[in-house]
Amino acid sequence: MKWRLMFLLGFLWPELSMDPFQGDLGMAWRHPLGTDALGRDALLRLLHAGIRSFGFATAVAILALALALLVSLGRARGPGVRSALRAVPPLLFLLPLAAVLGGLGWLSLGVLLAVLLALQLEPPLRAKLEPFTQGPAWAMNRILGGSRLHQIRVWAPWGMAHAEALLPSAWLGALWGEVTLRLLGLGPGPQHDSLGLLLNQELPRLSTDSTPLGWASLLLVLALAMISASKAQEAP
Amino acid sequence: MKRLSFLLQGWMVWGLALVAAWLLPGLPRGAAQPPEFPWNVLPATVALLMGLVLAALVAAWLLGPRAARARSLALWEAPPDLLWGGLTLALWPAAWGPPGKAAWALAFLASALPSEIRWLCQALPGEYPFPALWGERAQRRMRNLALRTLAPRWIAVRLPLWLTATLVLERILAVRGLGSDWMTRVAVQDRVGLALWILTFGLLWTLAQRRQP
Repeated sequence: MKWRLMFLLGFLWPELSMDPFQGDLGMAWRHPLGTDALGRDALLRLLHAGIRSFGFATAVAILALALALLVSLGRARGPGVRSALRAVPPLLFLLPLAAVLGGLGWLSLGVLLAVLLALQLEPPLRAKLEPFTQGPAWAMNRILGGSRLHQIRVWAPWGMAHAEALLPSAWLGALWGEVTLRLLGLGPGPQHDSLGLLLNQELPRLSTDSTPLGWASLLLVLALAMISASKAQEAP
Repeated sequence: MKRLSFLLQGWMVWGLALVAAWLLPGLPRGAAQPPEFPWNVLPATVALLMGLVLAALVAAWLLGPRAARARSLALWEAPPDLLWGGLTLALWPAAWGPPGKAAWALAFLASALPSEIRWLCQALPGEYPFPALWGERAQRRMRNLALRTLAPRWIAVRLPLWLTATLVLERILAVRGLGSDWMTRVAVQDRVGLALWILTFGLLWTLAQRRQP
């Protein structure tokens, strides 16, 4: 979890400076992947965009897990309602919504993604927690007259430890959500860099210009997917 | 009674979604009439989905429940839909013009097939010690029965996900299909079309529920 939290610092990394007169340079020692159309070093831009996207995914995943944890610790009210809300995949809901609103800002995208992911995370988290929350130890606080706040304070670390196991899938869900939305031009505007924006700019050029930056960003997506699948396989 | 209350709760959500669709301000200015349903892509889409269903069922039947833990399948499943769209776009020779429906169909199959095989393999009942000890014929027969029982619910559960995958690929490869139709109807606020889509999602959700929850 800690290495994902470190990406939150990526938001502090300022935007890279532009130099349009140095745009679209080829690969060289000084610029191993060349430069992009606005003269930014392509390797640095890939790092910058990746770290920004990972930071965003971390923030969204933590919010989604916190929401899912809150819902999972409560009573399972309205199972039919929650099941119907889960029936539409997050992206199938988000893409048209973003199209209606003419794109989503960072905050609205983050909150919406977190809420939609929390809906999907709630059943596995509830399945993990329920054997305990149905038991006598959980009821002890109520029997002894403890407040709800006290119960949260006592059990929050235990709940978070269980929720942490779902962080990788929540993180990937948030990451692919952001990347897909921005790739399709429906995410936040072009002011802040991210992996989605990078793909949005470089992907159309791949079949004609064959930019190293475009290929590198696709490879980064592939590598992330492969690493996460390998880790998931190793998990007990 | 429990099932009925469950379904009623779900339909309350679909009902609210229908009301919300109906209360939309209507078609925005400039859009004279709602877009036509893409009837021309329907046969290709149905054929593609049938191909996916058949391929996944056959693969699950051949591989059995052990494939659910197969590393190769997990690695193939891992990349998001956008990567298959991006790779198709990148590898498509520019001289051939824009990638058409065939490229979209291939990208869709590459993206959806591993997940479906794994879903089915995971849902198959375990085979050890029985029916594995009764021999291969009994094992195959058991898989056959299990897959026949699973198939309708599997299709109902996974159709919205297939629609998401095809929507992403349609947008990347500039092909108009069912996913784009759903998105366009929301974007242009076509009340009737949207209501029909919501009813379809509601129906799929109802079909996806187990008989005894």
